[in-house]
Amino acid sequence: MRWAFILQVAGLIILFVGLTMLVPLGFSLVAKDGTALSFIQAMLFCIAAGGGLFLVFRTDKGHTITHREGMCIVTLGWIGAGLSGALPFYLSGSIPGFTDCVFETFSGFTTTGSTILGDIESLPSSILMWRSQTQWLGGMGIVLLSLAILPFLGVGGMQLYKAEVPGPTPDKLRPRIRDTARLLWQVYLLLSALQFLFLLAGGMSFSDSLSHTFTTMPTGGFSPKNASIGHYDSVYFDLVITFFMFMAGVNFVLHFQLLRRNPSTWWRSPEFKFYLLVTLGVTLIVTWCIYGSVYSSLGQALRYSLFQVVSIFTTTGYATADYELWGPLAQFLLLLCMIVGGSAGSTAGGVKCMRVIILIKQAQRELMRLVHPRAVVPIKLGGKLVSDEILSGIVGFFLLYLALAALSMCILAALGLDLLTSIGAVIACISNIGPGLGQVGPTDNFGHLPALGKWVLTFCMLLGRLEIYTVIVLFSGEFWRS
Amino acid sequence: MRIIIVGSGEVGYHIARRLSAENKDVVIIDLNPEVLERVGERLDVETVLGSGSSPRVLEEAGVKQADILLAVTDSDEINLIACTFSNILAPKLTKVARIRNPEYTDYKDILASDLHIDIVINPEQEVIGSIERLMSTPGAAEVSEFPDVNITLAGMWIRDNCPLAGMNLAELKQAVGIDGFIVGAIVRGEKLIIPSGKHKVLPGDMMYFVCAHQDLEGVLKAFGASTGSQHKVLIIGGGNIGFKLAQNLEQKKGLQVKIMDRERSRCDFLAQNLTRTIVLQGDGSDQRLLTEENVGSMDVVVSVTGDEENNVLCSLLAKNMGAKLTVTRINKFAYLPLMRAVGLEHIVSPRLSAANSILRHVRKGAVISSISIKEDAEALEIVAREDSPLVGRPIKDLDFPSGAIVLCMVRGKQVIIPTGESVIQPQDKVMIMSTSKHISDVEKKIT
Repeated sequence: MRWAFILQVAGLIILFVGLTMLVPLGFSLVAKDGTALSFIQAMLFCIAAGGGLFLVFRTDKGHTITHREGMCIVTLGWIGAGLSGALPFYLSGSIPGFTDCVFETFSGFTTTGSTILGDIESLPSSILMWRSQTQWLGGMGIVLLSLAILPFLGVGGMQLYKAEVPGPTPDKLRPRIRDTARLLWQVYLLLSALQFLFLLAGGMSFSDSLSHTFTTMPTGGFSPKNASIGHYDSVYFDLVITFFMFMAGVNFVLHFQLLRRNPSTWWRSPEFKFYLLVTLGVTLIVTWCIYGSVYSSLGQALRYSLFQVVSIFTTTGYATADYELWGPLAQFLLLLCMIVGGSAGSTAGGVKCMRVIILIKQAQRELMRLVHPRAVVPIKLGGKLVSDEILSGIVGFFLLYLALAALSMCILAALGLDLLTSIGAVIACISNIGPGLGQVGPTDNFGHLPALGKWVLTFCMLLGRLEIYTVIVLFSGEFWRS
Repeated sequence: MRIIIVGSGEVGYHIARRLSAENKDVVIIDLNPEVLERVGERLDVETVLGSGSSPRVLEEAGVKQADILLAVTDSDEINLIACTFSNILAPKLTKVARIRNPEYTDYKDILASDLHIDIVINPEQEVIGSIERLMSTPGAAEVSEFPDVNITLAGMWIRDNCPLAGMNLAELKQAVGIDGFIVGAIVRGEKLIIPSGKHKVLPGDMMYFVCAHQDLEGVLKAFGASTGSQHKVLIIGGGNIGFKLAQNLEQKKGLQVKIMDRERSRCDFLAQNLTRTIVLQGDGSDQRLLTEENVGSMDVVVSVTGDEENNVLCSLLAKNMGAKLTVTRINKFAYLPLMRAVGLEHIVSPRLSAANSILRHVRKGAVISSISIKEDAEALEIVAREDSPLVGRPIKDLDFPSGAIVLCMVRGKQVIIPTGESVIQPQDKVMIMSTSKHISDVEKKIT
């Protein structure tokens, strides 16, 4: 482990986060909302701290990154980004308390979208813009962005890529990792630009369009409005945002194939089929649950059900309706969707469809082996063999996900939260959704939780975004043995 | 007609024997002097020692005067090279190559256009084809097709409980009641009979008949043979044949296919490359495994491992446990007559299939194709040209040898079963059944 090198790269990431504050600074100067000074202070701090780390620990030795160093860089980089990103909130005083500032920032970078704010609209617009922007940066990945921009990380960047990009087997689109990272960011940028134009065309204000684009494509879920998307009560916005949320939950490799005019790859992808079918199936069942009891017209029931299912399944977490009023079956299905999450290689959180499909196939295989003890049954996905290493990695991931979620729920319960709130809050955070159930439902916020609870949930968000292994491996004794 | 055969293995030897029995000039090339000596002693053929891939040896064998070159060694590469050099030495020669590796056969166009190989025979493909035909008509023991005229030649065993056993052929025709059905040959014990209307079919006979392809099932039903389709198939042996067969079968709706192989690594390969088939690791002669996998309820058990003794055992075991139909792969020609004795009716042999399909292409001139029955007879498909001596006379005046008959004529799409008074017209396709002894007489009569 070369600590100097790790700190150097982490410093670069902090420096980088500081530079991106230019965008909200610009907004602040235009709106004259009095937060410009805090942004300048925060920027200077990030540049000094990050640049300092970079200069002090600069090494000229080769930059081949080992597996361990990769995980360390990504985890430290994310913690650094989360802490430095909290500075504008803290310095401007718009969010009181260091704990709340860090919770809100991590919720941003990890694209969770859980908030401690009760009255969002009372905050200055530039602060809200920064809040949305953290999600956009975190969605495709801060490290990936560094990979795309910083030339010297290219060698051995695969270790960083693997540690940050979600999914059991990250796809490399180009022979060089730097080109892959660029390509993914370009696709992300293109989809974001499209959504921004559609929102603008529908009559949303410039800054709100940008804010919502910043939080839709990364499946984040922060909204500058108290009532989230429900604020607009517009079928057009519901549909546009549903569409882009759905797209954000699709593996970005498929978007890339679409740009290469290869649309048939979509139907050949078993994960996309699963994702689409689950979305449609759950929407229909939820519509059936709420038609008549909550909404008197079928159209209304379908509209709110579709938006809420896509929002939860892609782990975005926008709300147009209070799903806690929707009866137990609909809520339970939404809870399951929270755990499953979108596709591998997308910006969504959760366990991911691909892992769920493979786990289902593994269960089928065991059943098959009981009936035919001598059968040789490989697990195939889209005609390709899933190797035993990947399979055991997925089983391990799922077990760790459940175990860590259970442990966090225990801690919240010990702090005196009721059962539904504990379960809902932990799943909402570890799957990077946003709103949970009980006292942290879509109409509530996380502000009233005890400080320790907020720190546990912050850690859950990081675990969820970096897909557990990258973070948790730092806590294993074997990692530190040289 | 001068025919050069490269390779005197089972396939080469078999073809040489058949062709020399028909009074053709046969030259055999082989590397092994002992094998060659034995061939020279047993058959009336010329032998040349050397490799078929050598142009010098080919010249020595008289490739420039030959009509057909059959490259049938066990090595694809030698067969390919033999054909390539022959093409350079004698471009007009008809070249037939036995090629098994799919890496080559997948490029059939290149083999035909650039290497000028006229006919590529893939024995494994032929065997898979015959297994599939047997499965679709389980009542028949052998099924071959004349594809261009939609006529099938099939052989079936007459069972003790067959309702039509004991009838003579004239009665049989009434009883079956299908136009275009005619018995071409009856094999009784070791003897092959080209029958007339007075011959009877008896239990234990192997009866060969022709009929239109779509009538086959009806004919089999009339004889009380089991028809109907299969649903559950077990393939024992996951080699090339087993794998390809499973690949073909799993695409058909409503079929449940299981395949079994002894080797773990082969099972992995099979499981990765097959989608709906259940792959089992184990020995096909392991009775416990067969019970566990419910062999008794199988419709078909196909034993196609590389070990033919094992195949026979697996098939017998499966049959004993209640499998409805078994298909067994045999390599050695010597075993073929034994199979009926131990109760296995459906036999396939890659070498026999290869030999038969090569022989189909050896015919020249008016003969379009031919199908062999055992070693003893052949069904020929002939185009009646305008100047042919067959045309324009009643069939009874054709003066065919006693071992040959006209089975039927195909005029347009119509199948005509001739009487003695029928007259063959120009452009008719005529099916003739002849014993091997009389083939050359028949060939003289028709040209």
